[in-house]
Amino acid sequence: MEAYRQEIIVGAVVIYMIFCVITGLWAMRRTKNSSDFFIAGRGLGPIVVSLALFSSTLSGFGFVGGPGLVYSIGVSSFWMIVISSTGYALGFFLVAKRIRMIADVRNCISLPDVVAARYNSEAVRFLIAVTIVLGVMGYLATQILAMAVVMQAILSGIEMFANIGLITCVVISSAVLIFYCVTGGIIASVYTDVVQGAIMMIANIGLITCVVISSAVLIFYCVTGGIIASVYTDVVQGAIMMIAGTLILLTAMSVFDGGMQEATSIILADDGEAMMPFGAAGIMASLGWFFVFGLGLAGQPHLVTKMMMNKKISDNRSILPMSLFGYVMAALLWVSIGVIMRAAVIDGVISPLSLPDDAASVFLSVFTNPLLAGIVFAGLFAAIMSTSDAFLNIGTAAIIHDIPKAIRGHSIKNELFWARVVTVILAIVAASFALYSHFQDATLVAILGAFGWGTFAASIFPVLAIGLNWKGATALGAISAIVSALLINFIVQLAGIVLPYGILGGLIAFVVSLILFIGVSLVTKKPELDDDMEAVLNI
Amino acid sequence: MHSKLIVVIFTTVLIMAGLLIAIVLADYVPNGAGFPHPEFNGMQAGGDGAARLEHIGDLAFTFQCLLLLLIVCLATLGVAEQRRSAELWAYMGGTLLFSLFVWYQMYSGHQAFLETGITNYFMGFPVATAWQVYGTWLGGIPLIILYTVGFRKFIFTKEDERKYEQLLADIAARSE
Repeated sequence: MEAYRQEIIVGAVVIYMIFCVITGLWAMRRTKNSSDFFIAGRGLGPIVVSLALFSSTLSGFGFVGGPGLVYSIGVSSFWMIVISSTGYALGFFLVAKRIRMIADVRNCISLPDVVAARYNSEAVRFLIAVTIVLGVMGYLATQILAMAVVMQAILSGIEMFANIGLITCVVISSAVLIFYCVTGGIIASVYTDVVQGAIMMIANIGLITCVVISSAVLIFYCVTGGIIASVYTDVVQGAIMMIAGTLILLTAMSVFDGGMQEATSIILADDGEAMMPFGAAGIMASLGWFFVFGLGLAGQPHLVTKMMMNKKISDNRSILPMSLFGYVMAALLWVSIGVIMRAAVIDGVISPLSLPDDAASVFLSVFTNPLLAGIVFAGLFAAIMSTSDAFLNIGTAAIIHDIPKAIRGHSIKNELFWARVVTVILAIVAASFALYSHFQDATLVAILGAFGWGTFAASIFPVLAIGLNWKGATALGAISAIVSALLINFIVQLAGIVLPYGILGGLIAFVVSLILFIGVSLVTKKPELDDDMEAVLNI
Repeated sequence: MHSKLIVVIFTTVLIMAGLLIAIVLADYVPNGAGFPHPEFNGMQAGGDGAARLEHIGDLAFTFQCLLLLLIVCLATLGVAEQRRSAELWAYMGGTLLFSLFVWYQMYSGHQAFLETGITNYFMGFPVATAWQVYGTWLGGIPLIILYTVGFRKFIFTKEDERKYEQLLADIAARSE
């Protein structure tokens, strides 16, 4: 089997891509209007939403960037994970109920729709839409580039594709992505998220637990009258993934005879700080991530938009723990691979990596069975695809729905048609930008990439998460928060400002944005809310 | 009249901003945010942990205490004002104390390691790091339990649901 490692990995990825195409075709038949395209018609069940929510949170970053960060800076990056329980809780306490209510009451199909309704302000809608487009371009470019680079690495191991170029890989990646997104919109995305979520979660879970969960899911579906065929598909897939997941964990633990403790003690002996709670990056970088990733989760447009998709508000009580459970299981991969790889390099078990982001792929190539590697690589592609699709979706909504509405007072006609057209254009622009940046100026993607999680967190969290729970929040407060967050993040990034003790620019932007949002709202006239908004904020 | 809770949140964030300014202005320490590992390309090292905390340790400790307070206040803000009972405040107070306890254990465990250079292990990690990995994650669980178990009491009661359905019915009636 080892002789066919590359072929097996490619086979798993190809099967996954075929699955994406089929899912797209299936979802296309279910997509009848723009509401279906953008928010799945607000008709999804709790299991689908919870899996989609957690897998979108982790995305390709969890598979590639997470282990790479542990390899690079040690425990510092754990702070992004350990905050997950608090981050998810805050997201649900502050956003989940009211965003779903406003979506219903005002028939909203995007996040800018929701904030425009809340603040009765087209300026706030416009600024949130612009923030989303800026952030989406950076995220998309990096995702497409990552997908192409991984594809090139996998294919170049096969003789036939030994000289395949990056441009070809970008074209193939973008073509599948575009087909999948255009045909199905968000419906395709969330159902693929479910599969991705299952892959990520089950790849990190013990055999016995998996059996219990699969049985529970099976019973749940049967008792509630779910689709029988779907159950059996889930069971077969679950069984395969359970075995794979157990092997991944066992593999990671078996690299050193003393398991995880031996690995951490090797790192500790080399550099004590790297294995202590604040890692190599130090206390302020760690606490900054805790702040930005914890509070910021409730400000991520691709996540909060999914909180508008569930069928019933009362489903939230089960969606929250299920999402968290999935995230924790998937995050074990981040921690275990990262720690083992750093220890293995220090101990001389393997050669130093050329790049920290190679940690996961080298681990899969060196330590795991080829079949298992194939499944996890398919999971990696799944993560990148679904994240890209979620961002294409909200970016398209901002361009064809929100910005025209903010400027002209109404969105464009035939939204579904234009949604598909703009999705194609956005993907092509992002792919071109990714290539241009890769060959001409590698800092460009990083600059826009900085408009990722941190900028979304700083500019959207106060406006959405606090604004939905405080009637005193004003449009002027919201505008001040968004503009300050964008400016600070841009200036820190463009000017290359390095703050002492590893303080993040995103942390400064977040704190300033919170102060301006509340402070300006406190000193400006309390707004007159429309009756329906008043009623929603009272519940 | 603005709620007292938003004023508490605002004050907390202002103090945190002040602490950040104090940290930025604190005495410079070389490699305060790590440095390239001398042997392995792509790895960072932390170096002298005591030196890194010498000027900012107390400020950072206080910053995190305030952040934990902010988190609990924000979660409480997410509960409708009429449902913020004494029972809820007591629960949130307990949640905050638990989080502060975990943070103290982690920080003091790290300090102890810096002084002695030795540590015990718990479930694969040095004790201080185990407090971070397991304790911090568990710190958010009381909020998850409150949301899940107390959903019908604090988040979306039957009465809320009835009001919401009435609101939707009124809107539908007006649009016909």
